[in-house]
Amino acid sequence: MKARLLGIAVTAAILLAGFAFWRSTIGPESAGAPALARRSLGEGGRRGGQIVGSIRAVPRSFNGIVAREQTTVLLSLLTQGRLVRVNRSTFDLEPWLAERWNAAPDGRTYTLHLRPGVTWSDGTPFTSADVTFTLQAVFDPKSESVVANQLTLAGKPIVATAPDAETVVLTYPVTSGPGLRLLDALVILPKHKLEGALAAGTFLNAWNSATPPSEIVGTGPFVLREYVPGQRIVLDRNPRYWRKAADGTQLPYLDRLVLQVVPDQDAELLRLQSGDTDMTMSELRPDDYVAARRAEDQGKLKVVELGVGTDADAFWFCLKPEAWKKDPRFAFVSKPEFRQAISYAVDREAFAENVFLGAAVPIWGPVTPGNRVWFWASVPRYTHDVNKAKEILKGIGLEDRNGNGVVEDAQGHEARFTVITQQGIGWYDRGTTELRNQLAKAGIAIEAAPIDNGALIKRLLSSDYEAIYYRPLSSDLDPAGNMDFWMSSGSGHFWNLEEKTPATAWEARIDALMAEQASTIDPGTRKAIFNDAQKIFAENLPALYFVAPRIYYAHNARVQGVVPSVQRPPALWSADTISVR
Amino acid sequence: MIRFLARRLIFALLLVVTVSSGALFLTRLAPGDVTSNLGAFARPEEVARMRARFDLDRSAAAQWGGWALRAIRFDFGDSFLYNRPVGGLIQRAAGNTAVLAVAALSLATLLGIPLGIISGSRRGFAPALIRGASLVCLSIPPLLTSLLLVFVASRTGWLPAGGMTSVSAVDAGWPSWVLDVARHLPLPAVALALPIAATFERLQAQSMTETIHQPFVIAALARGVTWDRAVIGHAWRASLRSMCAIYGLAIGALLSGSFVVEYVTAWPGLGRLMFEALRARDIYLVAGCAAMGGVFLAIGSVTADLLLFAADPRVREGQTT
Repeated sequence: MKARLLGIAVTAAILLAGFAFWRSTIGPESAGAPALARRSLGEGGRRGGQIVGSIRAVPRSFNGIVAREQTTVLLSLLTQGRLVRVNRSTFDLEPWLAERWNAAPDGRTYTLHLRPGVTWSDGTPFTSADVTFTLQAVFDPKSESVVANQLTLAGKPIVATAPDAETVVLTYPVTSGPGLRLLDALVILPKHKLEGALAAGTFLNAWNSATPPSEIVGTGPFVLREYVPGQRIVLDRNPRYWRKAADGTQLPYLDRLVLQVVPDQDAELLRLQSGDTDMTMSELRPDDYVAARRAEDQGKLKVVELGVGTDADAFWFCLKPEAWKKDPRFAFVSKPEFRQAISYAVDREAFAENVFLGAAVPIWGPVTPGNRVWFWASVPRYTHDVNKAKEILKGIGLEDRNGNGVVEDAQGHEARFTVITQQGIGWYDRGTTELRNQLAKAGIAIEAAPIDNGALIKRLLSSDYEAIYYRPLSSDLDPAGNMDFWMSSGSGHFWNLEEKTPATAWEARIDALMAEQASTIDPGTRKAIFNDAQKIFAENLPALYFVAPRIYYAHNARVQGVVPSVQRPPALWSADTISVR
Repeated sequence: MIRFLARRLIFALLLVVTVSSGALFLTRLAPGDVTSNLGAFARPEEVARMRARFDLDRSAAAQWGGWALRAIRFDFGDSFLYNRPVGGLIQRAAGNTAVLAVAALSLATLLGIPLGIISGSRRGFAPALIRGASLVCLSIPPLLTSLLLVFVASRTGWLPAGGMTSVSAVDAGWPSWVLDVARHLPLPAVALALPIAATFERLQAQSMTETIHQPFVIAALARGVTWDRAVIGHAWRASLRSMCAIYGLAIGALLSGSFVVEYVTAWPGLGRLMFEALRARDIYLVAGCAAMGGVFLAIGSVTADLLLFAADPRVREGQTT
């Protein structure tokens, strides 16, 4: 009898353990889109309460079309609306202030129908006049708008007309691949509040950070209540916000959102752990992951894996010929084979382990798996093989002739370089150390020189460096919004900035492909064209990418309804659906 | 007395001008400038506009000249970070730093001087313990102390882990606001006060040891005055001369120490403002903060002189004759 009972108990335990294991394998991805959709609609939240977030910098402006630093962008998301929104979790285009639209067959004209009944937070009705006014402000040279460039195609602006109060017709100068996605950058501003400033030529300074909060109105979920410079920003629920949850509850759920200024990231984490703040505006650093997990075990925090980051650290040589003057090393630095050898020499798995403490995945190009739409899994790869690296180096005349462990050319010029990186960033220090150790095995010597970020940028812009290890941030996930990086004439083409004409044949080929995809409407064709550009990039390796970090985010366990995104801000991009227990 | 004060005020003015001009030049000459905040790949026209706005397209001398002319009219230029005039920012931050500095200085005085009297006038275990504690406090930099205190506060919840006011104080009236600030004050004040208290203790102890061997103290003891009365009533006052001299320096140390303490504890004061300004190469904000720092130093120096004037009759006599 005892043996039978024991058998039943053991069987039940095995079944329970199996069930628990099966449940644990159902992560956010396999939980399926409907669950995510429900979360993004904010179903099931409790109305009321407040959360405290921390920000590391103060806003430069409350006007989202003249400033674009992180805090201004965050405030724009919280207090203003756009015509359409790119969902930062699914990357889908969603109706926002425009509830629907029609695209003309020419691919250049869009008719947007505005959501009826929307009002500004001061009660003034939102109309098409606000949209045309905002575009007028964007393209006014005196506004010095930071989004004007994004909304200018082939050197010409997007033109807006308003046939009636609820309809806007946008005419693009040329066909645009991203189409209405471009409008995600366009915060719609109130004409009745800002037309005077635009007429007076003072739009740039209107709604600066000294403007009284009561002057700032919006169509977003929150309104600005108080701003104490250097201390905090207090936002209250916008009682006239247009959005409702799936169950009909008026959004946002929260009564109040407070953003405390905490400039130091260590202090920020401590305050999160102690419960002084509920969330931060940035992801966890790899070094903080264990502490956050420990706090999660104590029930204080919830740690969320956001996925693979969309930006990764890059290692590149200056490829501007003038910068090397008569330095003979440029003869081999400029050869793609040299950079391919480096790619072969780096063990990406070990790199992920040692630099990102295991929280990273190997990559072979600038588009990471985090960019689900544009990532190409078949991009050419360089499997770790030091012998192959040495063989390639020998093929271009580089070998260790004097036995000192560093390869040199026939004239004795060694492959020895100084790599500058930003000081004070843990993974940059580890990354350059790991690179030095790994490349030494192939006979390439690098020495890291950590410098201040401002000095690094100055040297980068003046091409005054040999090599850099740094994380350049992409301006958009859509390649058409990131042309500065891909086009040889671009200001983000960092290995050889703003070339007058393409310096190499492969760069000319990428230029042509990028121009083609940017004006192609069919998504499948665009993807195929962009894959070709990625292939050429991976073959020539103007910049080397080794791993993309896995992004983790932590927030207080009492916070609910967070729809996580790999892009910043990871949680508050969808603040209206967040609630507290 | 008037001549003495006038001399001090001229010195203070020179100090402010030198410190702020030096800060402006050094920020200008350091690698990188305010435009690096626009990101690595900002458009050239955007960079050019920013350089023009902050006079970086002019020579350093021309920039200083323009700034100095405006500063005479109390216009210290605009801050890049805050996008508003520097004057208002400094005013607010200096007020917050003053609150912190007064609290820290009071705490350091209340701790350091009595402990210094004890350790300088007695022998035994207690003075040895005080000396040891002072050496520890002197050895630990304020950065470490503040991090440790923030860590303890965040783990125990005994005190707020940072900031100057709580979120709950947003809608509160003045009395609640003052109480709230008082709850936030101990953490940064202790971090700042400990090394200064230790300095006071060491100086007071040394000065006291020297003074109690002076003839007038021995004479008092010979007249039958008790040891404690001789120490407090006679020796302490005479020993204050060196303490008064160090007060001005202590105010300066409070300001420089507050750089890191204010940053770690998120206290919105002048030190933190200057640290942020330096990191962002916010040139006019750096110069403005440095000018206010100079004012603090000058106030400290004048205060020290006045204290010395009040405490030491020899100084008074020297001034009056």
